[in-house]
Amino acid sequence: MSSIALEKESSKVVWGGGRSPFNLSYGKIMMWYFLMSDAFTFGAFLISYGTTRFFSALWPDANSVFKSFPFFPDTANLPLMFVSLMTFILIVSSVTMVLAVHAGHCRDKAGVIKWMIWTIIGGIAFLSCQAWEWNHLHHHGAWWGSFLNGADAERLPHFFKHDTAPALLAAEGANAANKFFNFFFTITGFHGAHVASGVVLNIIILLNTINGTYERRGHYEMVEKVGLYWHFVDLVWVFVFTCFYLL
Amino acid sequence: MDAQSAESKAKVRNIWKITAYLTIITIVEVIIGLYVSGHMSKFYVNSGFILLTILKAALIVKVFMHLGDEFKNMILTILIPLTLFIWFIIAFLADGAFWLKINHMFGIR
Repeated sequence: MSSIALEKESSKVVWGGGRSPFNLSYGKIMMWYFLMSDAFTFGAFLISYGTTRFFSALWPDANSVFKSFPFFPDTANLPLMFVSLMTFILIVSSVTMVLAVHAGHCRDKAGVIKWMIWTIIGGIAFLSCQAWEWNHLHHHGAWWGSFLNGADAERLPHFFKHDTAPALLAAEGANAANKFFNFFFTITGFHGAHVASGVVLNIIILLNTINGTYERRGHYEMVEKVGLYWHFVDLVWVFVFTCFYLL
Repeated sequence: MDAQSAESKAKVRNIWKITAYLTIITIVEVIIGLYVSGHMSKFYVNSGFILLTILKAALIVKVFMHLGDEFKNMILTILIPLTLFIWFIIAFLADGAFWLKINHMFGIR
């Protein structure tokens, strides 16, 4: 039955019991509500980041902090390039996931396997990029709680716009960089943990598909549920990208 | 639905179309970030970034997560709670503005 036809029935019939009024399974509804609550967690992180930035006199410049690229010399000035690549990888892995879900709708086992493998590869590629970026920033002195008590002070000017007044930099630079990197590592770390658990879930689903579990069950709804989670991870990255790299 | 049917092929075409949109939006954001940001009023640039971000989010939720295909009531149970974010942003900007004022008042910047 098409959803529109069902929706037109009287609410007494739809909500009268005996079937899901939303025409969705329990598991899928719960996945949606879990994702909504997770959106508030990420939202709280990003809003506290925004508030802190709002009342800080000085803030690191994203184009100065994130300007390196793997296999390029450290002096290379390529702002936004690496994070754009990461964003693109995650978008593509979201696309392969939706193609896996679509193959599941068609009960096309080979299609589900093919697109799940691509999704897992995309997830691992994204995590590798993030590991590189964290490692790179760590080599430049950035970490949770870094730059306090005058540590690595000589590295600070690299994180700010070139025309920052030296007096302001001396007074506020360490504090601003410390706050910026605390938020950066916490938020990208929390997102990365989501990606990592998503990859694990994807692998479990892939193994179940190969074993024919869903073929026997008669539907591929588990692919849809994990797909929702995976798209959510991509969705959060869209906001992290805007907040940390663009604004 | 058969994987080779016209319906299935139309859906796959739509997925790739949305992929192209998402990619184009990201490229536009990067171009603005590299070449426009800093030459224009920050307010307009940032408003543009936020609008493009929300557009991307809407495309992902509506098409990739298939929320657009669900019942209206289901869509509303997801979207209405998220409107709390409007209040959060207002409240926390007001809080930030207060801190800014206090910091200026006591000379801590």
